[in-house]
Amino acid sequence: MPDLVGANGQREDFRVVGKPNLPGKVSYALATGIAKFGIDYVVPNMLHAKFLRSPYANAKVLSVDTSKSLALPGVVDIVTWEDEDFQTFQKQSFYAAPPGPRRQWLDNYADQEGVEVAVIVVAEDEDICEEALRLLDVQWEVFPPVVNTLKGLDPDSPHARPRDEIYHGKDPFARLVDEPKKGNVTKALTVQGDVDKALKEAENIIEYKLMLPAFASQIPNPPASVAWWFNDPYATEPGPSLHIEGAVQRRELISALYKVPVENTVQEGIFQGGKYCDWGMRRSQEITPLLARRTGRPVRCANTREDTFDFLMNERFMYMKVGFTNEGLITAIDDYSIADGGIDGNASFGTANDHGYGPYYTMKCLNIRQYMEIVDTNRGKMYLSGQHCPFNWDSGTMAIYLIAEKLGKDPIDIAKLNLHGPDSQEDDRSVPSFDVCLEEGKKLMNWNWHASGMKKLPDGRYHGASFRYQICPRHAFTSYYTKLEYRFGKIVMPTQGPVTGIYAVECNAMVVAEELGIEYDDVIVEYNYKEVFTPVGGGSDGTTASAWVMKECAAKLKQQILEAAAYEAENPPPPAMKGPQLPPGPNPLKGYKAEELDLVGGYVVVKKDPSIRRLLEHAALQIIVATYAGRPPDALWSLGRGKMLDTMNTAYCEVAVDTETGEVEILRLGAVADPGKVLRPTSLESQIDQVMFFSQGCQLLEEMVWDERSGVRLNNNMIDYKKPTTLDVPHIDRKFLETRAGNAAYGASGISHSLANTHMVIIAIHNAIGVWVDPPATPDKVLKALGKI
Amino acid sequence: MYTQESTSAAASSLIDALPDKIDVFRCPICSAVTANYDSLRRHYDECHVAEIPPIMVTLRLNGRQTEVLAPPNWTLQRTLQFKLGLTGAKHMCDKGVCGSCTVIMDGRAVLACTTLVVECQGKDIQTVEGIAADAKWKPLVDAYCRWDAMQCGYCTPGFLVSAKALLDKNPNPTEEDCREALSGNICICGTYPRHSTAILEAALKIAEDNQAKGAQR
Ligand code: FES
Ligand code: FES
Repeated sequence: MPDLVGANGQREDFRVVGKPNLPGKVSYALATGIAKFGIDYVVPNMLHAKFLRSPYANAKVLSVDTSKSLALPGVVDIVTWEDEDFQTFQKQSFYAAPPGPRRQWLDNYADQEGVEVAVIVVAEDEDICEEALRLLDVQWEVFPPVVNTLKGLDPDSPHARPRDEIYHGKDPFARLVDEPKKGNVTKALTVQGDVDKALKEAENIIEYKLMLPAFASQIPNPPASVAWWFNDPYATEPGPSLHIEGAVQRRELISALYKVPVENTVQEGIFQGGKYCDWGMRRSQEITPLLARRTGRPVRCANTREDTFDFLMNERFMYMKVGFTNEGLITAIDDYSIADGGIDGNASFGTANDHGYGPYYTMKCLNIRQYMEIVDTNRGKMYLSGQHCPFNWDSGTMAIYLIAEKLGKDPIDIAKLNLHGPDSQEDDRSVPSFDVCLEEGKKLMNWNWHASGMKKLPDGRYHGASFRYQICPRHAFTSYYTKLEYRFGKIVMPTQGPVTGIYAVECNAMVVAEELGIEYDDVIVEYNYKEVFTPVGGGSDGTTASAWVMKECAAKLKQQILEAAAYEAENPPPPAMKGPQLPPGPNPLKGYKAEELDLVGGYVVVKKDPSIRRLLEHAALQIIVATYAGRPPDALWSLGRGKMLDTMNTAYCEVAVDTETGEVEILRLGAVADPGKVLRPTSLESQIDQVMFFSQGCQLLEEMVWDERSGVRLNNNMIDYKKPTTLDVPHIDRKFLETRAGNAAYGASGISHSLANTHMVIIAIHNAIGVWVDPPATPDKVLKALGKI
Repeated sequence: MYTQESTSAAASSLIDALPDKIDVFRCPICSAVTANYDSLRRHYDECHVAEIPPIMVTLRLNGRQTEVLAPPNWTLQRTLQFKLGLTGAKHMCDKGVCGSCTVIMDGRAVLACTTLVVECQGKDIQTVEGIAADAKWKPLVDAYCRWDAMQCGYCTPGFLVSAKALLDKNPNPTEEDCREALSGNICICGTYPRHSTAILEAALKIAEDNQAKGAQR
């Protein structure tokens, strides 16, 4: 694989990469409100659409009488699941479609309260839609809901999906135990070594439980789309053309759904809002072309906030048994988990697909068993995974803490003892990145470990601390197709985005500027939905792996520019009617070969005497395009599927717990991270803040709540579902280290979601008061755990 | 490319396009066109007795006298988006808790999703577009962009309006003042600490600019 510039460490001096405070390429549009998200689009003559949303969590629509609604002035169209349009219309999957029958795009089954079911109303405005929905006469058959995951496990439990046979095929992600699915439950098992034997022989055993409530993803911008059909006289393919806004970067999916050639499908907007690993499309983003075709007018369909409470993370219960030596070396891990599979019975990220990598495999322990029961429920849906790391890393963090408590040792020492070397679980060496992170972390936090309940603050509250580590879950499985154009002294970088709350495009632009000796502002990012390049990938690939590929592309372009400069110095192009005019006088580069030239500070210079130079836009007049396709060398992580370690990240937390009021205050959060090489420090800081505050919210404030009898969600709104505000968030001390051990641009590995956690604060609370409080640790739960209420 | 200049110019043209007078009085139910507001009301009396006619509101929006016709149950946020072409006041919670729809009304930061447009009669309202179009506030927008006080950017205009309302009242705020002033704004992407940094930098720059202007005079 070519490495024209070198991934690891050949470049020592950085002018642009690593520089703070360079504005994002779309930041001005976002800050000023000029940026338009799907929900913002308003077009002339537009109709509005709304779905019937189920008041029941598990139900079937038997029949609908639409006559009263149709008679309402302003109602233009009503479509039901029985309509011919829906007979061949199927849900598009983010993954390759699994074999077997698939569910109709809209049918008469409701598997969650609030889900779209059976009917869509199209009217002149949203108020009329609401009124028309109220006037529908719907006959329901209501089934008992399953919203208590543990009860759903019971073989006698009601079935969350009584009509399973019409659902989708086999879940490609579940590593199924070789037994058929029973009731609501799918089983998954992954085993390494002999866990029973290792537990029998263990010098010590701890048993503990982790409970992870469901957290809501709440994409900041409620999903919405607007679509219309038109005849484009310049269309390259026959047939009508479709314009849709609000389905950003999903043009292919929409064109497949409606069988319109992709060339005839327009989706120009670029702003997606916060979609952090949330790659699923909502129905409101897919339906508008159908309704526009039926009505002959543009149609808008928007989710409300209440409609937009999907899972960031599914509920999970973990029952752990860990064997270890008197020194604290873990010898056996037995993890039995029960996970909410939600309405899709999803065994993807967040459930069984996590098996085989994650916290346990960073340890020397060779005996690991992961057994999971995934329960279909009527609770909701997780659209892939959110900011939280897919697997729950903190089951390992908690083992380290509990062993430290039991042996009277510092958890950092237990972690060091257990972490295996870079190459495999049998590698005894330490991981350099981990060692430096810990050294700096201890300094940053004035780390002074104490056993639980042993430190009181002067104000009478109890002090607790915790620590965790995580590798960056990088994949680097995907290729990137990059293109750069040199145009009259400027560099144009075409891309389709994304604009999703990450600054991946900017990192690419910084790498281009670095390689070509120009300023960041001289890299013109042209957002164009028809372009191929998109710096999106799994984990941190979007930023760092694409930047490696872009670096290769920039290196090719540089070579071509220097060749053009050498050629044009010998063969000056005649004046053109448009474009830059050459300055009078001789070309100082005349007589030099391409290999004797370099690009520095916007000039083509002679390497051995940089005072001989020519402004880039005068040195090469021709337009030059360079392309590069590929991906960086394999990440260690992916070579060993998470069992190989290069760059590490550590986080620290200190809390004060008031045992009178039950109130928990996070005194300080710390993050010492090694992203390999920092590409863009401002957004790296911001990414860390984001996951830390997400984690804080999940451990102190947030929890989705259902009424168990009716299956109705009780807090799917931003009043009752609490998120932290500026007054809640603590100070975060951050330190970045650059070991350049990653596989991507300049040895970067990124940081991904690796500092997101579900139990760092919870462990610190235990360290303060010696009792476990399940997240979210609200004051009442703290007092209850203390036996005070 | 989105630059300070291009986005400021885009905001200005949105403001320029605001209607100072309503010239077409179209019935939202049957699309019949009437001569003026009174005849539209009469049309309702005759043809849509059960319905409530739209109301006509005159307000001063981003410095421009503006007339708008909207249903009486509509919020200011909805009216700005669907009748006046301004989408900077974002719809996030629609319940008055997230601050994404913040605008400044008669000098006070208010939530456009819980303010009915009828309440805006005769009011002076500034939206994020008005701030973007005003060169005086360039340092604030610049600082927001330099410090990445946004990730997905959906909540950002609401924060920027709250920040401007703070600086209007207190040109020299402390970090604590900033946190307090922004406590009604929720950022799901967790950008909180970056806002205070940006506001403090902008406050300094604005003070310097003012001093320089004073010296010139
Ligand atoms: S949308 Fe108005 S406060 Fe949230
Ligand atoms: S930047 Fe995404 S919600 Fe604030």
